[in-house]
Amino acid sequence: MMDGRATLRVPAPSRAPAARPRHASTDLAALGEPYLWTLGGCLALGIAMVAGLLLLVFWNGALTFWPQPIAVLELAGGERLAGVETRGGTYRPRPDVVAALPPTAQAVVAQNRGLVERTLYRTGNFDLYGDDFRWVSSFQIAGIQYPTDMLFVERLEWGVFIGRLRSFQVGAGEPVQAAVSDAAFQAAHAVARARAQSIRAIERHEIGRINNTLERERLGARRVAFDHGEGSGEHQAALARLASLTSRLEQDYAGLAREVERLKAMDAQDRARFADVGGREKEMPLSQIVRLYAANDLNAVQQVAIYLARWWEFVSDEPREANTEGGVWPAIFGTLAMTLLMVVVVAPFGVVTALYLREYAKQGRLVSIVRISVNNLAGVPSIVYGVFGLGFFAYFLGGSIDQLFFPERLPSPTFGTGGLLWSSLTLALLTVPVVIVATEEAIAAVPRSMREGSLACGASKWQTIRHIVLPRAMPGIMTGIILAMARGASEVAPLMLVGVVKLAPELPIDGTFPYLHPERSFMHLGFHIYDVGFQSRNSEAGKPMVFVTTLLLITLITAMTATAIVVRARLSRKFAGSQF
Amino acid sequence: MTTEPRKLKLPARRDLRTRRSVIVIDRLADGIIRVGGLCVIVAVFAIMLYLAQMVVPLFTGGGVTAEFARTTSAVPAGPTIVDRLDDYRTLAIRIDDGGGVSAFHLATGTPVEVPQLDFGGNRATAVARTLSGDDLAFGFADGTVRFARLDIKVAILAEDRVPAGLARLDARDRSDGTAVYSSLPGAQVRRLSVAVDIGSPVTIGAGVPIVAIDLRKGGAAERPTTVFATVDGNGIARLSQAETRTNLLTGQARTTTGTTVLPALPPSLSIVAVAITDKADQFYAADRGGMVYRFDTRDFAAPRLVEAVQLVPSGATLTTFAFLNGEQSLVVGSSAGTVDVYFRLPRADARTQDGFALVRAHAMAPHAGPVTLMSMSQRSKMLATADAGGHVWIRHSTSNQTLLKLPPAAGEGSAYTALMLAPRDDGVLAAAGGRYHAWAVDIPHPETTLRTIFGKVWYEGYGEPVYTWQSSAGTDSFEPKFSLVPLIFGTFKATLYSLLFAVPIALGAAIYTSEFTHHRVRATVKPAMEMMASLPSVVLGFIAALILAPFVETWLAAVVAAAIAIPFGLLAAAYLWQLLPAEWALRHGGALKFLLMFATIGAAVGLAILCGPLVEYLLFAGDVMAWANGDIGGEGPFMLVLLAVPSFFMVEAAFTRSLGDRFHARQRGLPRHQAGLLDIGRWLAVALASLLLAYVLGLGLAAIGLGARGGIVDTYTQRNTLVVGFAMGFAVIPIVYTIAEDALSAVPEHLRAASLACGASAWQTAVSVILPTALSGVFAAVMVGMGRAVGETMIVVMAAGNTPLIEMNVFNGLRALSANIAVELPEAVRDGTLYRLLFLAALVLFAVTFAVNTVAEVIRLRFRRRAAQL
Repeated sequence: MMDGRATLRVPAPSRAPAARPRHASTDLAALGEPYLWTLGGCLALGIAMVAGLLLLVFWNGALTFWPQPIAVLELAGGERLAGVETRGGTYRPRPDVVAALPPTAQAVVAQNRGLVERTLYRTGNFDLYGDDFRWVSSFQIAGIQYPTDMLFVERLEWGVFIGRLRSFQVGAGEPVQAAVSDAAFQAAHAVARARAQSIRAIERHEIGRINNTLERERLGARRVAFDHGEGSGEHQAALARLASLTSRLEQDYAGLAREVERLKAMDAQDRARFADVGGREKEMPLSQIVRLYAANDLNAVQQVAIYLARWWEFVSDEPREANTEGGVWPAIFGTLAMTLLMVVVVAPFGVVTALYLREYAKQGRLVSIVRISVNNLAGVPSIVYGVFGLGFFAYFLGGSIDQLFFPERLPSPTFGTGGLLWSSLTLALLTVPVVIVATEEAIAAVPRSMREGSLACGASKWQTIRHIVLPRAMPGIMTGIILAMARGASEVAPLMLVGVVKLAPELPIDGTFPYLHPERSFMHLGFHIYDVGFQSRNSEAGKPMVFVTTLLLITLITAMTATAIVVRARLSRKFAGSQF
Repeated sequence: MTTEPRKLKLPARRDLRTRRSVIVIDRLADGIIRVGGLCVIVAVFAIMLYLAQMVVPLFTGGGVTAEFARTTSAVPAGPTIVDRLDDYRTLAIRIDDGGGVSAFHLATGTPVEVPQLDFGGNRATAVARTLSGDDLAFGFADGTVRFARLDIKVAILAEDRVPAGLARLDARDRSDGTAVYSSLPGAQVRRLSVAVDIGSPVTIGAGVPIVAIDLRKGGAAERPTTVFATVDGNGIARLSQAETRTNLLTGQARTTTGTTVLPALPPSLSIVAVAITDKADQFYAADRGGMVYRFDTRDFAAPRLVEAVQLVPSGATLTTFAFLNGEQSLVVGSSAGTVDVYFRLPRADARTQDGFALVRAHAMAPHAGPVTLMSMSQRSKMLATADAGGHVWIRHSTSNQTLLKLPPAAGEGSAYTALMLAPRDDGVLAAAGGRYHAWAVDIPHPETTLRTIFGKVWYEGYGEPVYTWQSSAGTDSFEPKFSLVPLIFGTFKATLYSLLFAVPIALGAAIYTSEFTHHRVRATVKPAMEMMASLPSVVLGFIAALILAPFVETWLAAVVAAAIAIPFGLLAAAYLWQLLPAEWALRHGGALKFLLMFATIGAAVGLAILCGPLVEYLLFAGDVMAWANGDIGGEGPFMLVLLAVPSFFMVEAAFTRSLGDRFHARQRGLPRHQAGLLDIGRWLAVALASLLLAYVLGLGLAAIGLGARGGIVDTYTQRNTLVVGFAMGFAVIPIVYTIAEDALSAVPEHLRAASLACGASAWQTAVSVILPTALSGVFAAVMVGMGRAVGETMIVVMAAGNTPLIEMNVFNGLRALSANIAVELPEAVRDGTLYRLLFLAALVLFAVTFAVNTVAEVIRLRFRRRAAQL
C-alpha cells in the first residue's frame, strides 16, 4: 500500500499542468450541478419526510398529557365559554355571517380575502352541551381570561367536565362549600375512589370467578352428556353435582351482591356539585371523578406530576369511553403476548428451515428456486396471510378442534373463530421468511474453513452446527428474529381478520384456569389506532389518544428495528475482522 | 500432511468409534431439521394451493346430489295451475283448475290429505301467485276474481309431543295422513301441514271471462296492499289496488279497492300472461304471438299504453312470461326454445312514449324444443325452464349461464305439467300427472363465472354491461355485483400514483447517497431511511386520513405550488451555487451543500404556502375545488404546469443536440463566475422556451380532448388518491431506496476509479458508468416497491375513501383489492360467494406480488452475478 501511494505521488510535484487554465472548473455541464441538486433534494426530501412525520407524532403524542390552561372566553354576544385551546385554522364564513358583523370586523375579513381565523376549543361537558368541541371565530371573541378556579375534571363517563366546584357532601351530611385544594375534599375523593375500586374488584374478580366456575361446571355436565349419552348415570350424577354447586354458589353470589349494594349505596351519597362557566350546575358522585385539577393554578411540579400520572394511567389502565379515554394496557399486553407467541413459533421453525436450506439440502437449481420463493414470500401482502389465517387456521383447524375437543360449547365457537393463537400463527407464517433469509445469510457468512476444521477434528455434523455454526450465526439470527418481531408488531391488516377486537373483556392470560387462553380474542395497539381514529363516535376527541398510542407503537417498533440494525452493524464489523 | 490419513487406517489402539449418543443425536438432529425444514417450505407453498382450492368452487357450476323418479296417487283432477314445494323439500302441492289441492310426500310419493279450495263448482280460467306462492289469485269465466292463501305451516316440536300412531314414511319422516313429521337432530321434530283460505268472489269484468291475471302483495304489515291486474276475454285490461286498513281499536279490517281500466288493446289478441310491478307502476300484457304491450300506470287514474314490442323470434309463439325475483327482469320463453331476459331501460332512441324501452339484456342458451314451463327462484336470479321434450335446465340470469341440464327422465318423452324450483334453490321437482321426477341440486355459487368476475356484466337497472363491485344490500331481491375489475383498477391506480411520487424521490436519493455523499453520512442516512420502512402502515394511514387529508384539502393550491416550487428552487439554488468560486465550492461540497438543500426545500415550501392563493388565482381561477369540478376557469394554466417538466426535457434535449457543443466550447473559455452567469441565462432561456412549448402543447391537447380536467383531475373528495399516493410514498420510498442503493453500491469500485481516473467528473461517472451497470438492480428495486404498493392495506383502507370507481381522477378515492378484503371479509358468510370471491382477490394479490417479486429477484441475482464478474 505504501508503495502504491508513493508512486501515485510522483507526478504531483511536476507543476507543468498548472500553467494551463484549469478547464474542469469551468466545464459546468460535466459537473452536472443542477442534477446533483435535484438528486440531493430527493434525499433531503426523504429525510425531511421521515423527520417531519416522527416529529409530528412525537410532538402531538408527547404533549397530549401535559395539562393545558383553561381559557374563559367572553363572546361578542355576551355568552361565556370555557375550554382548552386545541388547534386553529382558517375558514371562509358565509356572506350573511360576514354582513352581520360590525364594520371593523368586516374590514379585517375583507383584508384577509374573506378568510377568518378560528380556534377549536375543547369545552367538555358533553352531558350539558351535547358536544365536546366548539369552533370559535376570531371576530366572536371579546376577551380571554384564565381564572384560577376553573377545574379540569376527568370523569369515568361523559368525558371531561370543565367548570367550578360548588360544594360536596359525604354520607348523609350537609353539602359543604369547598375548593379543590381543601384537604377534606381531597380525602373524601380518595375514599370514594378507593371504594369504587373495591366495588369493581368484587364485581370483576369474585363475582366473575363464581360465573366462571358455574359456566365450567355447566359445560362439564354437557361434556358428560356427550361422552356417556344424555340421561345416563354419569350424566345424572353430573347434573346433581351441578345443581348442588349452583345453589351453593348462588348463596355466595347473594352475599357478594349484598356487599356491592351496600357499597354502592354509600358511593351514591358522596357527591360533588359543579357549575360550568355559565352557572349551569351538575352533580356527580365523587367516585366518578378520575382526576381534577385547577388547570390555571398549577406550578411546574404539579404539572409534571399530572403529566406523569396520566402516562402511568395510559400504560397501566383499561380503556373507557369507547377507547378514547383511559389507558391501553390490554392493547399493550395483547400486542406483546401476540408477538412473543409468534416468536416462540417463528424462531425455531425459521432457523430449522434455514439450516436445512444451507447445511442439509443439496445445493442445486431446486434449492435456489425455493430460496427465491421464500425470499418473495416476504413481499406477499400481509392481508393475504390474514385471509389464509381466517380460512385455514380459524375456520378449518379451529373448527375441527372445536368438534373434537369442545363439542359441549358448540355452536358458539371456542377455537373456531379468530383468537390470539391463530393471530400468532398467521403472523408467524408472515414473518418466517424474514427469519429464514436472515439466518441463511448469517449461516452463509460462517467461513467454510471453520466447518471443515470442526469436521476434520471428528465432530459430527450436528456437533459442528451446534458448536461452530450456530454460535457464529447467532447475532444474525437475532437480527432476523428482532426484525420479524418488529414486522409482526406493526401489522394490523391480517389481525383484523384473525382475532383482534375493539374491546376484549378479558386478557388472554389471567388468573382463571388454565391461565393461558390462546383462543381468546385480544386488543392490539395498531388496531387501537385504527379503531379510535376511524370507528369512534367523535374522532376529534379520540385524536390525542391516537397520537399517544402511535407514539407508543412507533417507539416500540423503532426500538426493535434500531436494535436489529445495531446488531447487524456490529456483526458485519466483527466478521470483517475475523475473516480467514 | 500426506501421512496423516494413512495413520488413521492403522489398526486403532484407541477406541476410535464414535460414541453412540453422538450418532443418535446427530441422526435425530438430521431428521428433525430435514423434516422441519421441508415442513415449513411445504406449508409456505400450501398457502397458494389452499387459496386456489377455496376459489375453485366459484367456477364449478353445480351438481345433482340426489335424484329419483316416483309415482304418486295424489293426482290432481284437472290441469295443474299452481305448484308448490316447501322450504325443506318435504311436501309437494298441486292445485288444479277446479280448486282441488293434492299434496304428497316428496321422497315417497305418499299422498297427504290437505284441505281443498272451494271454487263453488267453477273452473279457474287464469291464475296468479306471488313469488313465494303463499298468495294466489284465480280468475273465473264469470269475470270474478278470488284471492286465496296457501300456507305451509311449520312447527318445531319436542319428540315427546309428537302424537302416537304415526305411519312411517321413510327413515326421517312420519305422517298422520294430514301432516308430515320430520325428525331433526337434538330430539326435535318438524311438523309440516297445509292450510288454505279462499276469499269471496270480487267481480271485475261482469260476465266476461278473465284470461290472465297477475298479483302482487306489498305494504306494511298493518296496512297490507294487494295489486292485481287482469285481462278479460274482450281484451280489456284492468289494474286494481286494494288496501286493507285494520282499525287498531276495534280490530276490524276494511279493504278499499280501486280499479282502473287501461287503454284498449288491439282486438283479436290472445293474451297469455300479464305482469305487474310491485308498485303497480308498469303493466305488461303478453300476446301469444309475441307482442308485449307495456302500460305506464304510474298515474293510476290515467294509465297509458307506452310500448308495444315483439319479443319472440318471428314464427314462434310466446309460451312463458314472468318477472324474475326483484321485478326488474322479464323472462320470455318461446316455442322456438329461446329464453330471453329483458330490462326496461331509458333509451335515447326509444320510440316509446315514456323514453323507456324493453331491451334484451341476456339471450340465454335456447332449448331444442318449445319452452313450456318456467319456475323462478324466490331468493336469487335463478330460474328453471322445461321444454316440450322433458329437458329441465337451471339457469342464472346475471351470469347468463346454464347451471345444470337435467336430461329427460328415462321413458318420459312427453312434457311435464308442473315445474318447481325449491324455495331454497336446492332442488327441482318436475311432474306430469302421477309421475314425478325430483332432483336435489347443490349450486353454491350460481352468480359467478370467469366472465362475471373479470368481464362486463349487464345488471338490472344498468343501461349497459358494466364492471361493478357491490357485494351486498338490504333487500332479498338485490342482485350482487361481483366484478373484481374496479378493485384491480383501484389497486393499479393507487400503485401508479404512489410510484409516480415515490420512485423519482427514492432513486434520486439512492443515487445521491451512493455516489455523492461521504461514507460516514451514508452510514447514518441509510439506517434512518430503513427505519422509515418499519413504520407501521396503520400509523401512515392514520396520519394520511386524519392529518394529511384535511391539510391537503385546505392547502391544495399550496401543495400544487410546492410541487412546482421545490424542483424549481433546487435548480435555482444549483445555478447560484455555480457562481461560487470553484475552490470554495469544492471545499464545502459536502455537509454545507447538503444542508443548503434542506434550506432550499424549506424555503420552497414556505414560498409555496405564501404563494398558495396566488397559484390558486393563476391556475385555478381563484377556487381550486370549483375548478376541479369543472365549474370555473379554463384548462390552459394547469396544463401548462403539467406539461412544463416534459417540455423542459424536450427543449433541453433539443438545445444540447443543436447548440450544445458550441455553447460548451464558448463556456469553457470563460472564468467560472462568468460561465455560471451564462449558464443561468441559458437555463432561464430554456425554461422560458419550455413554458412556451408547454402552453402550445397544452392548448393542442385540450383542443383534441385530452385535457387533464375530467381525466386525471376531477371533482375533489377529501380522501383521495393524492393523499394515498403521498402516504404510500412513505411505505415505498425506503424499500426502493434501500435496494437501489445496495445495487448502486455493489458496482465494483474499480469501475468508478477507472472512470474518475479518465477525467470524468463524479456526475459523469454516476450517469455514464455506475447507473448503466446497476440498472437491472435499480429496476428490481422499483419492482419490489411496486409489490409493496400493490399489497398495502391499511393506508388504502383508511385514506382512500373505499369507493370502487373506475376513473383516473387523482382527486377521487379508490377501493383496492387489499382494502376490500380487509373491509368485507369479517362480515362475509363462511363459504359463501362473497367469502370465496375475497379469497380469489387474495389469490390475485398473492399471484401478482409473487410474480413481480420473482421477476425482481431473478433480475437482482443476475445483476449481482454480473457485477461480481466485472
